[in-house]
Amino acid sequence: MASSGRISGALGPATAFCVLLGLALPLPGEARADSRCAIDDRGREVCLEQPAERIAALSPGATELLFAAGAGDRVVAVVAHSDYPPEAGEIPSVGNHARLDLEALLALDPDLVVGWITGNPVEQLERLERLGLPVFQLEPRDIAGVAGAIERLASLAGSERQGRRAALAFREGMAELAERHAEAEPVSVFYQVWDSPLMTVNDAHWIGEVVRLCGGVNAFGDLDRLAPRIAEEAVLAADPEVILAGGMGEANRDWLAHWSRYPELTAVAADNLFFVPPSLIQRPTPRLLEGAGLLCEALEVARGRR
Amino acid sequence: MAGADSRCVPRAARGWAMPLGLLSLTSLLALGLAVAVGSVGITPEALWAVLRGEGDALSRTLVLELRLPRALSAFAVGGLLAMAGALMQVLLRNPLADPYVLGLSGGAAVGALVAMLAGVGGALVTGSAFAGALASTLVVFGLAHGTGSWTPSRLLLTGVVVAAGWGAVITLLLSVSPVERLPGMLYWLMGDLAHAGAPGAPLALLLVASLVALPLGRSLNVLARGPLQAAALGVAVRPLEWAIYLMASALTAMAVTSAGSIGFVGLVVPHMLRLSLGNDQRLILPACALAGGTLLVLADTLARTVIAPEQLPVGVITALLGVPTFLYLLYRSR
Repeated sequence: MASSGRISGALGPATAFCVLLGLALPLPGEARADSRCAIDDRGREVCLEQPAERIAALSPGATELLFAAGAGDRVVAVVAHSDYPPEAGEIPSVGNHARLDLEALLALDPDLVVGWITGNPVEQLERLERLGLPVFQLEPRDIAGVAGAIERLASLAGSERQGRRAALAFREGMAELAERHAEAEPVSVFYQVWDSPLMTVNDAHWIGEVVRLCGGVNAFGDLDRLAPRIAEEAVLAADPEVILAGGMGEANRDWLAHWSRYPELTAVAADNLFFVPPSLIQRPTPRLLEGAGLLCEALEVARGRR
Repeated sequence: MAGADSRCVPRAARGWAMPLGLLSLTSLLALGLAVAVGSVGITPEALWAVLRGEGDALSRTLVLELRLPRALSAFAVGGLLAMAGALMQVLLRNPLADPYVLGLSGGAAVGALVAMLAGVGGALVTGSAFAGALASTLVVFGLAHGTGSWTPSRLLLTGVVVAAGWGAVITLLLSVSPVERLPGMLYWLMGDLAHAGAPGAPLALLLVASLVALPLGRSLNVLARGPLQAAALGVAVRPLEWAIYLMASALTAMAVTSAGSIGFVGLVVPHMLRLSLGNDQRLILPACALAGGTLLVLADTLARTVIAPEQLPVGVITALLGVPTFLYLLYRSR
């Protein structure tokens, strides 16, 4: 528990209860009126004496989630590729997420660091903690995790109301999509994350979750690994009805064009090759709702072509 | 310069003060520069205040918590690599030998990557890398011993093949690792001082190695001329060779576990020094400690400031600085 600036020894039973449940709620009337705690995605509690004023977001996703949580105006540091929302581009960068410039970060004097469990170097996050900075490590792994992340960040930044609203909108949007496609005919889907090596996702990944929510059946959902590398032959053997792909940009359909060389594929014969902008679906942020909408639409089009 | 090593000791010793003094001075200047320069500007007055134990909190943190330990780590790692390289070149009597030629960095890398793949971080990665380096050393040691006679070329071949094996395992680990862990793994393989911990252990080892190298130097000089001659002059060749091997391995293991496999320093620094100072190991080894350290301190300072806030891998800078310098010295020699 040596994770954060201040350990919550002085906090009451209500907090302890929250901790036990793994909940991340703003403190209900505790010793210090403005102090607040939240459990991060490693399961550690991060406590602040007052709402964070100067936040360092060490992943592009964390930046998006902070803006969604209503704390965008308090983000003082981002990392390379933090391109959404556009305002984030004007915030000083502290280097690549995998190799942070700690000097630049410290010089911006953050009072909360939002780290990325698998993206940031462990040693650098540990060093920040040793220097007394509260480090909240974030890694939303599914749809529920996105909404939860928004709420927890909002509670640390003291923008609970905006956070709750954003989280609610996200949950409701997803629930509505799920409801609309609950009775839809199953469609077998191959989602291509990357082309070389050829990669897809399994059912545990949030993209797999979105496919399921839209009434799709992930052709590679049963594989063990979250983002398995697969052979082209495996795609031919699975013969999915729909192929979805991102690409090397927001409108680059090259990866889909590649599949057209196999006219015997059901997806190619029916022209069910759909592009989904990668930033809308490959980042676990509120924009996932928009990406999920596009993905569901694509599956509807495919059903219409039967 | 090539004849310098055959001269008698007192005269040679007098000639050493100058290069070693110069190198020490350069090292101190490099360390000073590393502490003074960073991606955040600190005025000379603020720096002076910090060095006197005053100054504002931010400057103190930047200088004392980030820059100084990192600069000292860089110095120690550079020194260890250069010394290990010089030792390997004498041991294998092969100018292409470097600290990694016998597969030690491959073993360390496999250890580190396995730990990263398992999702642990920090000290466990370091520990695992050290275990890998140790395992590789013992495997090469055991196999090169073999059943027949022992020769440096047998050791070299064993090491090179073990290194190739580690290389395959590294490729395998990279290809089965989850995508999100790949950048961290690649950065580790490139070598980086960002994850170097406290500089105490590598600095202590560097000091011990320099002290041990002094009495060994004379035997090394003889060995460098060939094992037959060395044996004729009363040097116990095989124990000496094993001692060099174990010492070079210990130095490399410490360097690699501190900062990943930083290339180039161990290969080129000893050659640079031989080109300019002659081939007397009693001088070359301590000079390697100083020059290797200085090169890595300067390279790391550039790596973290050139395109700040983006941080470059230090190996890129060591090669970009070292290659032209080395080629110039080589061109001018003879």
